[in-house]
Amino acid sequence: MLEGRSVVRALALLAVLSLVAASCAGGDGGDAGGGGGDGAIDCATVEFGCVEVGPDDPINIGTLLVISGADATLGQDSQNGVRLAVDYLDGAFDGQDGTLLDHPVKLTNEDDLCSAEGGQAGATALAADPTIVAVIGTSCSSAALGVADTILSEKGILLFSPSNTNPALTAEGTHQPFYARTAHNDRIQGAIVAEFALNELGGKSAATIADESPYTQGLTAAFEVNFEAGGGTITGSEQINSEDTDFTSVLESLKAGDPDVLYFPVFVAACSLIIKQARDIMPDVELVTSDGCLSSDTLKNAGDAVNGVFASSPDISVFQGDPFYADEFVPAYKEAFGTAPISVFHAHAFDAANVLFDAIEQVAIRNDDGSLSIPRQALRDAVFATEGYDGVTGTITCTELGDCATDVTIGIFEAPGWPVEGGTDEPAVYSDTKSLDEVL
Amino acid sequence: MTGQPMSSWIRAGLAAAATSIFLAAVGLIERFRDLNLVGEEVTFAGLVMAVVPFGVGYVLARPRIERGERREVPLPRAALVGAVAGIAAGLGFGAAAVAVDAFGVDRVRAVFLNVTEGLIELVTFGLPPVAGAGVLAVMSGALGALGGAYRRSPERWRRPLGTAVVAVLVLGFLQRIVPIALDQLNLERDWLYSRRTGGLTWPGAALAAVVAVLASVVKARLAERWRDLADRGGSEGAEPFGGLRLRTALFVAGLIGVAALPQVVGSVVSEVLGTVMVFALLGLGLNIVVGYAGLLDLGYVFFFATGAYTLALLTGATLNTFTGQAEPALSAELGFYLAIPIVIALAAATGLLIGAPVLRLRGDYLALVTLGLGEMVTVLVKSPWLTPLVGGPNGMRNVTDAALFGFGFRSPQHFYYLGLAFVLLALVVSHRLAASRIGRAWTAMREDEQIADAMGVNVVRYKLLAFAMGGAIGSLGGALFAVKIGSLTPASFEVIVSIQVLGLVILGGLGSLPGVVVGALVLVGLPGLLREFEEYRFLAYGAALVGIMALRPQGLVPNVRRMRELREEERAQDAWARASIAQEREDEEEYEEPPVEPAGGELRP
Amino acid sequence: MLGAVGGFAHGPHAEEGEPRSAAVTTTRVLAVRLRWYERVPWRRVVLVVLGVAIVAVVVVGTMKTLGLPEAQRYTGQNWINFVARGISQGAILAMIAIGYSLVYGILKMINFAHGEVFMAGAFSSLFFADAYARSGFLDRHPVAATLICVAVAVAASVLTAILLERLAYRPLRSAPRLVPLIAAVGASLFLQNAFRGFFGPQPRGYPRPQVLGGQLSILGVPFQRMQVLVFVVAALSIVALTFLVTRTKTGRSMRAVAEDREIASLMGIDVDRTIVVTFAIGGVFAGIAGVLYAMTFEQVQFTMGFRPGIAAFTAAVLGGIGSISGAALGGLLIGLLLNVGPALFLTGFGIPSPFSLRDAFVFLVLVLVLVFRPGGLLGTGEPEKV
Repeated sequence: MLEGRSVVRALALLAVLSLVAASCAGGDGGDAGGGGGDGAIDCATVEFGCVEVGPDDPINIGTLLVISGADATLGQDSQNGVRLAVDYLDGAFDGQDGTLLDHPVKLTNEDDLCSAEGGQAGATALAADPTIVAVIGTSCSSAALGVADTILSEKGILLFSPSNTNPALTAEGTHQPFYARTAHNDRIQGAIVAEFALNELGGKSAATIADESPYTQGLTAAFEVNFEAGGGTITGSEQINSEDTDFTSVLESLKAGDPDVLYFPVFVAACSLIIKQARDIMPDVELVTSDGCLSSDTLKNAGDAVNGVFASSPDISVFQGDPFYADEFVPAYKEAFGTAPISVFHAHAFDAANVLFDAIEQVAIRNDDGSLSIPRQALRDAVFATEGYDGVTGTITCTELGDCATDVTIGIFEAPGWPVEGGTDEPAVYSDTKSLDEVL
Repeated sequence: MTGQPMSSWIRAGLAAAATSIFLAAVGLIERFRDLNLVGEEVTFAGLVMAVVPFGVGYVLARPRIERGERREVPLPRAALVGAVAGIAAGLGFGAAAVAVDAFGVDRVRAVFLNVTEGLIELVTFGLPPVAGAGVLAVMSGALGALGGAYRRSPERWRRPLGTAVVAVLVLGFLQRIVPIALDQLNLERDWLYSRRTGGLTWPGAALAAVVAVLASVVKARLAERWRDLADRGGSEGAEPFGGLRLRTALFVAGLIGVAALPQVVGSVVSEVLGTVMVFALLGLGLNIVVGYAGLLDLGYVFFFATGAYTLALLTGATLNTFTGQAEPALSAELGFYLAIPIVIALAAATGLLIGAPVLRLRGDYLALVTLGLGEMVTVLVKSPWLTPLVGGPNGMRNVTDAALFGFGFRSPQHFYYLGLAFVLLALVVSHRLAASRIGRAWTAMREDEQIADAMGVNVVRYKLLAFAMGGAIGSLGGALFAVKIGSLTPASFEVIVSIQVLGLVILGGLGSLPGVVVGALVLVGLPGLLREFEEYRFLAYGAALVGIMALRPQGLVPNVRRMRELREEERAQDAWARASIAQEREDEEEYEEPPVEPAGGELRP
Repeated sequence: MLGAVGGFAHGPHAEEGEPRSAAVTTTRVLAVRLRWYERVPWRRVVLVVLGVAIVAVVVVGTMKTLGLPEAQRYTGQNWINFVARGISQGAILAMIAIGYSLVYGILKMINFAHGEVFMAGAFSSLFFADAYARSGFLDRHPVAATLICVAVAVAASVLTAILLERLAYRPLRSAPRLVPLIAAVGASLFLQNAFRGFFGPQPRGYPRPQVLGGQLSILGVPFQRMQVLVFVVAALSIVALTFLVTRTKTGRSMRAVAEDREIASLMGIDVDRTIVVTFAIGGVFAGIAGVLYAMTFEQVQFTMGFRPGIAAFTAAVLGGIGSISGAALGGLLIGLLLNVGPALFLTGFGIPSPFSLRDAFVFLVLVLVLVFRPGGLLGTGEPEKV
């Protein structure tokens, strides 16, 4: 058992050790030296300075993804994508990590816990490490919005998210200068789902169910705005508690409005229950959900009731048609992690990492001793200037507000033909590409 | 226990085996097989596997109580007992591994997610399962013997050795924290931590161990000198003078240390310390309610949320996540220092308002009602009904950073000072309260409400006062939390907060102010530093709550008076006393009891 | 502020009329001259205001909801469905509530971890149900398969309950009252996270035999078959329990121990054994309820015990804790309130998503019952202070 005094003792020891270390380090006398080699950038004066990478040191990239808890698959999947990007630095998925500017790449993984506190703690840890060049993350919008994006932007560290979809992150007024994402903005997804419900399903009226997460709130809001703009009526919007199990009363009260379509972009647990309960209560209503629910768990949990449920998601078939994805990326993923991709955003993470690596190559200053100086502001600018990059998820062009997935293809899949393990993997029943300018 | 026959040792060993199996099944072993603590040899998984048999040996060798006498177990016997129990533990654990392997790992894994090929391989050392189980049993036996022997080894060996091992392990566990702190201090780190394994290097670990041993020896020497001095001084008169000087010096040194801490430990640890302060404030508030007045409140998150949301309403804004437009919530946009008095007053008033109808209830009913109130707050802040006011699921943003003359407190190192100021304030208030008439009335009420009532203590008034005071301090914790994060989401205000705060107050010791601080450091600080174990945090919490209640209900740093109360109850209740007497004796050696305060004021009608 | 607070002091004294020595009272009356605000019974004022406000909300809300224009109004079938669901959910809550009630009756402690006993049963039986569903046994022999699942669930729940009693509560039996309650909170947290560690955090689908799907018409009103089954099972088990407690030797021991533990032990009753039996019975009911719940919602998760646990505890308190029929009545009322209440009371006010507030309803009821009638509806009017 750890006694209270032992802890105190250990802490005292820590202090002593730091002093010892101080005297050891004192001999070194200097820092790793400023860059200023070939470029016009002088690390000593430029805002936010440079990351100095010693001759034998790795380039340190942070990740801030949810890797524990109920949402762990989301973050783990993205992390796997980043690891594959590191593997692919040498141009091949061979299990051997490649190098970037002759330096190995090291990942420092933090957990965003899918919450604001987790985002704060993780971002603080990463911001404190001066060797961190940039951060791939966060998984959850709530960890980034006003927390991780602000903390890292204050330090001039780029936060590049593969899976945040909340509109506010890149809205004028809330966008932080060092925040960008390869994930689609939910304004687009909501708009395309609304279009599908109106035109393909022929719905005149719709009801929505959100839960207490910002993700579902953003998505239902986008759906409602676009659905009404397209001439439909919203007959009811309910909010549920994602931990509940009995949604029958909620469904009952929505049924009173007699909608044609029910849109409920909630997460797996509540989603499977709603599917089953809605089939009993409103058998004639078309059920539409989104990527938070698009999972093999839903197919398993909801049983037969799931058949015929539509789910929207970034159209994976777009990149599934891509021979690189199907023939190289997915086999490499299976080889490295023992399973087929477990969630949706591995490819977005792969793209984010690659855009980042390219930008590092562009702006890093090689010093004579083999060390690198990577100016932070220039790195951010290079990422934001990305235009027409040919990524796995499509063509990547970043806007001034950090949306790098500007033309997004959203597919609607009909269960059991969902593009997940256990699904029958049929092509999307509807697919459309929109850019941010085209949607409300 | 050691006076009892071998079967009881074996039973203890099998209980240890069950513990190991449990730890393996929840994933604590396999999942951390690559978490290197020292070199590549000492991993967390290995540590867990070793600690259980060592622990059972250690526990079995504890002194026995016979007719009130403390009897030490002889060393050889302690080792023997440990060995037998350790072998039993190893055999049990190994047998489980063999059984799983024979049945088919995949079939077991379909149910128990963490039972993998890797786990079986780890437990059986990559050998054929039966042989591996044999090796496991032998090693467990050796560890058990070691545990028993260690417990019985002479103090002057035991202390330094223990300190060294604990120090090395602590440094090993802090591998994500210490290197960054060293970097921020511009200190060399590679001699201590390997960039390749992540853990300590062997030379670093050896150096740490040596330093720890030295520190422990020096400390023991100093303590000896101190005792000698005190003895030579002989009379009571000599000691206080020297004592006072030394105490002042220590106090000043401590103060400087506390003030300089964030600069030394860097922003990561400062961030964790900030969270610790928020919870320490909550703990101090709850301590008044539970520790002083004896009213169990399971819904303390109520005040946490009240404080945070009130501050956010007064200074912050709700956010339209769709457009990104922020709208000042109450269009008040007050400054932090104007808002804080309102926060406190509102929380105290709420405390009175909800206290009034429920305070007549018996303790456990009160607990459930407060739990209900806490849950109601959680439900309300995320309900669409109140969304226009408090932002619903999207929460609130742009909370003030409490800037004072342009100096903001959002960054971890700055926040530390703001938090420290509030915690010190709350500590002083709590301390003064405890020593005042009010505090004595609370004590009387807690010890026996009816007698206190009969003696003229206005029970309802003091209960309400406790609720109001506790709520006010707790709401400060909420307000600080809002300042720290800058934005609020309802997910931060779940029932688990209530349980965490209660846990830290209890762990530290009900009614004990240092206890609250220690409790917050252990239950909030430690998980903050060891974020890789996040998934197991609440498992450990739950186990800790049950364990503390059974073994050490007075907490880590007990309140002296409160300890006496608990002890008196124990003495009256044989069954309970037996388990605690050994512990109690150790406590008596550690804590000197101050003279009993004269009861005065209202206690005497 | 303090002065105003002081006024509260006199309310309860006046109300309760607790026995106290005349001398003390006289001294106080002589020593203290009451100011006007101290003479007001503040506590009673607060209570009356609270009560009136709640009655007003309920009445006005109901009238407004029923008076909504045709298009927005719920249909008769809506209401029937609300009520049917309320009854079936209430039946499950009643079965969980019995566990709280029995343990409370006998030990005077709130077994906060009872919700996890319920979860343990449901979760453990999942693996059998799942295997049977895959092999087709579940649909070929639905009765046998379901019975096996129930047996497994009962075994797991009973085991969990007994281990809880043995490891967490028995060592604390004579400790101050709050000590075991805190241990129970810890045990609840521990059990949840242990199951999460064993079986993972994801929700898992729980299969239901096909015969239990679909509807059944009773007196021309359609009910879900599952709801009917839940109600019937719950009613039968409660009758059986009542028989057990009132007619058998075990039941007599339980009642004796509940009455006075020491005297019971003097009378030759094995108190430890009786307590274990009580926990085990609570476990049996939790296990059955677990399977019913899992088959109703076709999903289990490690957190599934917490909210039903609180709702069931509320039900036990509402009906009168310690009373079996009270638990049954309380369960039904809470079930109805959860499923009908938000629609009936809140829709009329135009509150969006009324059902998102339903958990608040449960707690509001808990608070109100404890404040106004701590003994519960069928309770003995047990004094609040001991």
